Amino acid sequence: MKSYHAQRRLSLVFRYCLLALLAILWIIPIVWIILASFSSNDTGFVSTFWPKQFTLQNYIGIFTSDQFPFLYWIRNTLLVSLVTMVLSTFVTICVAYTLSRLRFAFRKKFLQIALVLGMFPGFMSMIALYYILKNFNMLNLGGLTLVYVGGAGLGFYIAKGFFDTIPVAIDEAAVMDGATKWQVFIHIGLPMSRPIIVYTALTAFIGPWIDFIFSGIILSSSGNAKTYTIAYGLYNMLHSTKGASTTYFTEFIAGCVVIAIPITILFIIMQKFYVSGITAGADKG
Amino acid sequence: MFKKHNKVQPPATYREVWSKGDVSFKLSFLLMGFVQLRHKQWAKGIALLGIQIAFWVWFIFSGVSALSMLSNLGEIKSKKVVFDQTQGVYLTKLPDNSVLILLFGVLAVILLLAMLGLYIAHLRSMRTLYVQLRDGEHVPTNHENLHALIDERLHSTLLAVPIVLIVAFTILPTVYMISMAFTNYDGKHPIGFSWTGFKAFGNVLTGDLAGTFFPVLGWTLVWAVCATATTFFFGVLLAMLIESKGINHKGFWRTIFVIVYAVPQFVSLLMMAQFLDLQGPLNNILMSIHLISSPINFIGASASPLVARITVIVVNMWIGIPVSMLISTAIIQNLPQDQIEAARIDGANAWQVFRSITFPQILFVMAPSLIQQFIGNINNFNVIYLLTAGYPMNNNYNGAGDTDLLVTWLYNLVFGQTQRYNASAVLGILIFILSAVFSLIAYRRTNAFKEG
Amino acid sequence: MKTWKKVMLGSVTLLASMALVACGKSSSSTDTSSSKEVTGTVKLWVDTTQVPYYKTIVKNFNKEYPKVKVAVTQSPNGSANAKTDVGKDPAKAADVFEVPNDQLGSMADQGYINPLSPASTKTVKANNVSVAAKAVEWNNKLYAYPFAEQAQTLYYDKSKLSAEDVKTWDGITAKGVIATDFTNAYNYYPVFLSAGTNLYGTDGETLKGTKVANAKGVAAMTWLAQQKANKNVMQTSNALNQLKSGAAAATLDGPWNSANIKKILGKNFAVAPYPTVNINGKQVQLKAFLGIEAFAVNSHTSTKNQKAAATLAEYITNKKSQLIVYKNSGQIPVDKAAQTSDTITSDPVAKAVMTMSKSSDHSIIMPKMTQMATFWNLSAPLINGAYTGSIKSSQYMDKLQTFQDAISKEN
Repeated sequence: MKSYHAQRRLSLVFRYCLLALLAILWIIPIVWIILASFSSNDTGFVSTFWPKQFTLQNYIGIFTSDQFPFLYWIRNTLLVSLVTMVLSTFVTICVAYTLSRLRFAFRKKFLQIALVLGMFPGFMSMIALYYILKNFNMLNLGGLTLVYVGGAGLGFYIAKGFFDTIPVAIDEAAVMDGATKWQVFIHIGLPMSRPIIVYTALTAFIGPWIDFIFSGIILSSSGNAKTYTIAYGLYNMLHSTKGASTTYFTEFIAGCVVIAIPITILFIIMQKFYVSGITAGADKG
Repeated sequence: MFKKHNKVQPPATYREVWSKGDVSFKLSFLLMGFVQLRHKQWAKGIALLGIQIAFWVWFIFSGVSALSMLSNLGEIKSKKVVFDQTQGVYLTKLPDNSVLILLFGVLAVILLLAMLGLYIAHLRSMRTLYVQLRDGEHVPTNHENLHALIDERLHSTLLAVPIVLIVAFTILPTVYMISMAFTNYDGKHPIGFSWTGFKAFGNVLTGDLAGTFFPVLGWTLVWAVCATATTFFFGVLLAMLIESKGINHKGFWRTIFVIVYAVPQFVSLLMMAQFLDLQGPLNNILMSIHLISSPINFIGASASPLVARITVIVVNMWIGIPVSMLISTAIIQNLPQDQIEAARIDGANAWQVFRSITFPQILFVMAPSLIQQFIGNINNFNVIYLLTAGYPMNNNYNGAGDTDLLVTWLYNLVFGQTQRYNASAVLGILIFILSAVFSLIAYRRTNAFKEG
Repeated sequence: MKTWKKVMLGSVTLLASMALVACGKSSSSTDTSSSKEVTGTVKLWVDTTQVPYYKTIVKNFNKEYPKVKVAVTQSPNGSANAKTDVGKDPAKAADVFEVPNDQLGSMADQGYINPLSPASTKTVKANNVSVAAKAVEWNNKLYAYPFAEQAQTLYYDKSKLSAEDVKTWDGITAKGVIATDFTNAYNYYPVFLSAGTNLYGTDGETLKGTKVANAKGVAAMTWLAQQKANKNVMQTSNALNQLKSGAAAATLDGPWNSANIKKILGKNFAVAPYPTVNINGKQVQLKAFLGIEAFAVNSHTSTKNQKAAATLAEYITNKKSQLIVYKNSGQIPVDKAAQTSDTITSDPVAKAVMTMSKSSDHSIIMPKMTQMATFWNLSAPLINGAYTGSIKSSQYMDKLQTFQDAISKEN
């Protein structure tokens, strides 16, 4: 009995050590990024783990720079992501609910087409999207929002999986009582889907903060840095001029850390919705 | 459902509708909406008539020319430089802009098809109306029609906006991209280009890009398999470690790992590239603790291909394991315990339980999302573009490096030096075929989408 | 839809009017030189960090040409990517944009830019050093207004290397470490030129003129391979960092980084032309690519703004503007008078760059061929392959032949 206990104890110690080791391995690069954002460096390259010299100048620089209007970028991105969040969630939930709870002739075909469309690499559509937006004179934040929302119609899988898990009997009972399908949607479907709405909304909200490709294509032709979003603005900071990647590197890291913090917090909040969304979607397998 | 039924036994043929219906029916064969207006279905009638008028106006003023120009993508193919005496400057007479001609040609085709679809739907509803009138059944009133939009036809209401968005932002660009593959749209024909059939496919599959295409394709597949398998397998193990008996503060441990995934990739990966550099912090740390004597070139332009590829997969594990850990955690928590208990009582050890019970169940639940991850990895632009930019260099390739995936190579072909738009469109189509084949096989096997 | 219709209609009428203008020419007066009357609206693209001082330059311009409205904006991805930025949508690109000379050939062929008028051609040729004019010439016409020259030079740490040491590559590596990047063809393709091979003929414009698959090419490959064995030649992606940490004593870099290097090395900062290298037993000058930065006029600019655009491009590349650019960013002017002014001649960086660009045994003008796109794609792996040894010496000839064939193709 004693040896059994000792063995259990040994196993626990071993598992704790392993876990701690892994956690350290995982977090080291992140710690380094934060340290680097406080380092005083003019070579465009951080070669040491621990900065030789600490400074707050990078953070001061990024918030006060004339050429790189960081606060405008944050404001723009916040605007785009809030509007995207509302519209995308609406679109995604509509599609997911319809495909999951309503039965109609076109349904199966819609699912199949959506599946096929999702397999084309999105890059090639950029050129076309650019010209479409240009023709509506929308090479701006509005157009960018539209692109993000435009993609929402096909991102319904997880939400649909969630709706699939709600028993149909509830709907049927309501319809028996004379409710229209619209009433079922508004009064039963939506309230029950709060977790998935939160998940969809947060995902949509985060999107504009991390996309530097589409935003670059659509916003860059304005030539006005005040109209950029954060990801493209930061990316542009390093790639706009020869030698700029050296001069602005540490400010760039500081800018990255500033936006990474809220996104990380948001993500940690939403992890449980994320999990329930994915597992619910997969459950029916 | 009942529409299919209709097809089997049409209660009335269109011929009958045409010959026996009143004037409004006959008119409606030509111009939609009359019959609805005649029978006081105002909303439907006006909507149909309005859409139709708008369509014809567009078709006459713009659609015809858009469609006709689609045949050759514009007359003038080459530019001409002329001298303008009044201003004293040179001017360039530009070729017809084939990009716009193609884009609006595709749009015109889509609108035409949409109109055709509407017309067919209209014919059906006209026939239904005819039968209702003929058999003295109840004819839906205007109000009933509108009410249906929030009841039995709620799906049309809810899908209307999303479908418009999907057509404009996904279908139109996709069709445009596919048609680009059949042209000579490249650096030499950047403004005015023409249809060239399968020539661009030939370039990629047997021409000057073939020597790059097949090796890159091979690596893309190896990468997708390795990336998906490693993150999944180790994610499950990590989840089991955190969930195992005796470990406290599980939420805290999970959060540490999730942080890595939560940091925007253009931050974490760009910085990771420096972290792993030949003179970067990792090499410095390893050298200062005398683990290595000379720095390892993990992902540089002159790194060894094998080292770089392994590094990329390992870094992808760094980013990917937290997600699959999260998902497996949820599954593990919901696993039925009785089976495991029974196995334990039968004397199975931990490994046997994992191998024969836990793992298969997790695999079963996660199969659909694994397939999606696999497709996602085939198209995993960020990890490669931000971490290695396709390096190390390979002197046998054309415009790609050893860690380039098809999708990053595609990006290089469009935005890099050579501007080979048509070849990149071909790549896009080939990537699609690849993804489609794999998911078809996988979905067939898992049956996950059988129910839809 | 309507917008498109308008675009189509617009371009048709534009073409028609241009044809009319082109035909019914002879009667109108050609006296346009005295035009204070130039009018128009022009959009100008410069690199992000250049916006502030180009606003100053444009202010000067408006004093002379008050009726031209200029919007100074930053280009999407910097002038180094002008070709792709303009190519994405020429109609939306700026009317006047900055571009390195090696992209001019393909942009001219693609019809993105207009040639200079005879009058401007004369001015540009008269005012600027001859390499600058030659660098923007394509098919006997000038296609852009040059304003700065860029050639890499040697930057070194005075405390570690003497002026005598830096005259030869072997002298440098005998006493200190040179940190450099062999994965960058811009740095090391010129070794092939030092070895005596040609790139697109002697004029840099002959498609079949590349002669590199020969003993001289092999000698250059061999030299590259030898550098791997040399402990004092450091392959790095971050030479500046190595200079700072003291791990390296010298590096090859361009004038765009000189301000950064000055900051890093402080009082030990020194600059010199490239050293000589020993290729195949012979001491030869290590060459560099000479790039000319220039402003070009977009061919999609509407006819009524063409004159204004050309006038602006000419003005912002005149002597006064070149000196403003030099003062703010250290870009070396190409104006003859500017080059001999005291501010320039007293600057060691400028002097070194000018030495590099002046004579053809120190540098060659970057060719403007369309095939340069292929050249850049293929030359870097070739050089890197020779350096790392992934290309064995027995394969040199084959690889060089493949390379030569690929970059000499008609496309």
